[in-house]
Amino acid sequence: MHFDWAYFWAQLITPSGAFLAGLGLTIIMSVTAQLLGFIFGLAVAFARMSPNKFLNFIAASYIWIIRGTPLLVQIVFIYTGLAAAGLVRFEDITAFGITFPGNLQAGILALAINEAAYMAEIYRAGISAVDRGQFEAAKALGMPPMMLMRHIVLPQAFRIILLPVGNQFNIMLKNTTLVSVIGVSEMLLVTETINSATFRTFELYSVLGIYFLLLTSLWNIFMMWAEKHYALGRPAAKAPRAVPALEPVQ
Amino acid sequence: MSEDLLIEATGVEKWFGPVKVLDRVDFKVGRGEVVVLIGPSGSGKTTLLRCINHLEEVQSGRIVVNGSLIGYRERNGKLISDKERNIAVQRRDVGMVFQRFNLFANMNVLENISLAPRLLRGTAKSKAEEQARILLTRVGLPEKENAFPVELSGGQQQRVAIARALAMQPAVLLFDEPTSALDPEMVGEVLAVMRDLATSGMTMVVVTHEMGFARQVADRVVVMAEGKIIEQGAPEQIFTSPAHPKTRSLLAAVLH
Repeated sequence: MHFDWAYFWAQLITPSGAFLAGLGLTIIMSVTAQLLGFIFGLAVAFARMSPNKFLNFIAASYIWIIRGTPLLVQIVFIYTGLAAAGLVRFEDITAFGITFPGNLQAGILALAINEAAYMAEIYRAGISAVDRGQFEAAKALGMPPMMLMRHIVLPQAFRIILLPVGNQFNIMLKNTTLVSVIGVSEMLLVTETINSATFRTFELYSVLGIYFLLLTSLWNIFMMWAEKHYALGRPAAKAPRAVPALEPVQ
Repeated sequence: MSEDLLIEATGVEKWFGPVKVLDRVDFKVGRGEVVVLIGPSGSGKTTLLRCINHLEEVQSGRIVVNGSLIGYRERNGKLISDKERNIAVQRRDVGMVFQRFNLFANMNVLENISLAPRLLRGTAKSKAEEQARILLTRVGLPEKENAFPVELSGGQQQRVAIARALAMQPAVLLFDEPTSALDPEMVGEVLAVMRDLATSGMTMVVVTHEMGFARQVADRVVVMAEGKIIEQGAPEQIFTSPAHPKTRSLLAAVLH
């Protein structure tokens, strides 16, 4: 086996500007798509739980199609497929001197649309896990449905779904590599480009793996903190807990 | 008609699937009256209570609370289901205390009590919290305002739940077996708060198995069996000379 340690360390510790730009894109794409999926997913969940049969059908179909087809297919379909059909062409947008490329827009959109379907089901599980008594108590006080959701049910549901949502973002970080197929220069595509010039495949992909491991590990650490502070069953972090001082043993 | 009626239910029917749980029930409560509903389990007393604030929908009959028809609007002599928003407004005058307390798990005691007046009555935060503290003192828990529900005993939670219901200044308070989920040593503290409320002139409808409470505090005891009101009257009359054989067997069972 040949492993060029010097090359490996150089790439790991002093990565090229292109690779760092790719790292930036990976982070921007995953955070933006996750936030969009988080918001859009809530709307889909409400529609899915709505007594309105039409809304319910639309939401159920959306979840069925998105979860039933590969993300890679969805990405190509949205960027290349829609353009080929002459329906939507994602153009580069330049604002304040920054260009927002069309393929990046399509990539983020595809990731967000995909994420929303999974988030919708997570919300639905979280909301149905809130004790029925909480709904009834809020209703009995005279709260209309949306107020009840906002003040009583969602805050409790968020705590219930904290772990699955953390899981989703972990998956999201790694799924951004799929957007490389439509030419977004995130970490994988940059690595492939360097590889085609150097053929140091083993070293380069080791470095790429380590960078992803670093990202997901940082996220894990954040989730461990969040879980400790916000997980259900604990009074919220803002509640000062009186810890009785131990009496010294005489 | 001349008497001051707060709740007037007439011909109320309710089915759970094929099971008829309320069978043409007529039920009235006057302002300031304390009515205790008793009956064997499955007799429909909790369901009747839950129909009064439309947590359960009635299939026929009508329920008028404080002058307004609950859950329905009348149009050309026909009843049509009201919007959830309007029902919510009607519920603000009807307080409810649940068997399982149902304090909001994501809020501390003070927030539990002050939330509804702030959101629904437009009370300023400081004012709502001041009222909440007064109510907490009234239920005997002034030191617990920062506690979370999980940190309280069942009896304490139920007293906070009563304070939460009172904070909306309802015209009537409904109690659904308020002591049934409590450890025996905590029943007394909750009943004491309820007794205090009754003395202060609060209109109350109480579903309970606490016959001692019914006997001492109720103005009227209503006995239900198989979805019907089979007998009602002053506690003395019900407990000493019950007319209906089912009342006699019920009392024999619970009083040993």
